[in-house]
Amino acid sequence: MSRVRLGRWLLVIPMGLLAFATIYPLLFTANVAMKTRREYILDRFSLTDSLRFENITTAWTSVGMGRYAVNSVVVVACSVFLLLLFGSMAGFALSQLRFRGSNALFIGCLAALFIPFQVIMVPLARVMADSGLVDTYPGLILAYVAQFLPFTVFLMTSYYKTIPAEIVDAARIDGNTVYGVYRRIMLPLGAPALLSVGILNTLFCWNDVLISLLLMPSADHRTLMVGVTSLRGQYSEDIPTFASGVLIAAIPVLAVYLFLQRQIADGVAAGSTKG
Amino acid sequence: MLAPFVLVAPAVLILVLLRLYPLLLGVNFSFTGDGDRDGAMVGFDNYVDLLRDPLFQGALRNVGLLVLLLPVAVAIPGLLATFIYLRVPGHRFYRSVYFFPAVLSPVIVGAIFNLLLSFDGPVNSILGAFGIGPVDWLGDPDVAMFAVVGVHVWATFGMALVVFLAGFATLDSALLDAARVDGASLTQVIWHVIIPSLTRTIQFVFVTTMIGMLTSMFGLLYVMTSGGPEGSTYLPEYYIWIQQGQMNRPALASAASTVLFVIMLVVGLLQLKLLRRAGRED
Repeated sequence: MSRVRLGRWLLVIPMGLLAFATIYPLLFTANVAMKTRREYILDRFSLTDSLRFENITTAWTSVGMGRYAVNSVVVVACSVFLLLLFGSMAGFALSQLRFRGSNALFIGCLAALFIPFQVIMVPLARVMADSGLVDTYPGLILAYVAQFLPFTVFLMTSYYKTIPAEIVDAARIDGNTVYGVYRRIMLPLGAPALLSVGILNTLFCWNDVLISLLLMPSADHRTLMVGVTSLRGQYSEDIPTFASGVLIAAIPVLAVYLFLQRQIADGVAAGSTKG
Repeated sequence: MLAPFVLVAPAVLILVLLRLYPLLLGVNFSFTGDGDRDGAMVGFDNYVDLLRDPLFQGALRNVGLLVLLLPVAVAIPGLLATFIYLRVPGHRFYRSVYFFPAVLSPVIVGAIFNLLLSFDGPVNSILGAFGIGPVDWLGDPDVAMFAVVGVHVWATFGMALVVFLAGFATLDSALLDAARVDGASLTQVIWHVIIPSLTRTIQFVFVTTMIGMLTSMFGLLYVMTSGGPEGSTYLPEYYIWIQQGQMNRPALASAASTVLFVIMLVVGLLQLKLLRRAGRED
């Protein structure tokens, strides 16, 4: 027994070092963002001598991260709303209402899960260009909805399958239409799944760079992540401003992670065990 | 009677128009020409061009490298999950800290590691303190791809860890206790109890990790190396982006997309087969 104990305590060292290696990069970046350029060049490791937010303000205003953040928030909010709406509608129909072709549709959705974006990005860009949707909010929102809908429908269908059919039947006998059942029963009952699928979709859309780089090319319409990529060329000399831009893009995700860690991990786990 | 169809209509419409139709269109594209020959059928010309292009050959070589590194990328979270499951002191803390980089965008991760891995950056300073280096992590063609893959593993192992832990939750703990009563060592427990009971989870992690390596490293490549130095960090997805966005050769890019799709199918099926065989021998 004591040997097992000792073995366990020996593991603490590498695991602790790894934990440090997991958080240190972001702490380093946050520290650099507080420094002046001079301070950074003289010693990049030392703790900043004061909490300076000038770099953050510069990144927010003159670098344009503020405008990019607004673009991101608008696009992500609309995309996630539509994903949850369409996903729960389809999930309800596919799990509770047996109709001709419902099985084939579900399998089709599963298959779509395995088409990576890279495989369809060239023709999708052409379709979007032909419909005049390139460099518009609706275009990017539609692309996100299409990208993450298979996953959303799949998880919502699996979740709604666990709701007993008697509930739907009883509500129908009480005189509800199918739409009434969806609105009054399925949406409230689906809240936990909608929350965790919503958080995951928010992260996916917020973190995406390839789709927005492809469909929102102009500087005015950049999302925050594309904004981060543009920092590299412009601020390669001014590392503290660069670090500030990165920090601005990371903070919302960090906040979401700190408060909703459980739901995120559970969502990932649910996706894996149901797969 | 119509209601179910109304409910699924938006989802079906979007998926057909923006996923299924582009998929078919893309395969068709790959057999047409670029530039002057736009729209004309050119047979397999794009595929011939593709296989002759040194950049695409490099991208395929790098895919081979990813396949070789895959067991490592799966073993790391697997081992860590085992330790956490066996309740190493502080397991709750590790669990939440390790998962944290998984929520960051590859772009943010890439930008941060641009700072850390720069020639005069912190990583080289730390190694220098031990008399190692300096290494030109992102500027040396022999090193850059390993650096990028290493950062990708850093950023994603927490995701696989959570999946492993979900698998462990289904594990029969009586089996573990029995092994321990019989005096089995940790290696024996991992080899004879944990791996055979978690075959499904391990398969799942293998496939998703490979898919992740093939389809979600774009952000890192774009920010950290832009495919360089000397084209040594190309992957098919980056090649597709360059041909489509920068070189204006959408038909060639479509051919590369089709090849990527085939690679993913082959890799997925091959792994399932290998793992199934390994599972049977146990």
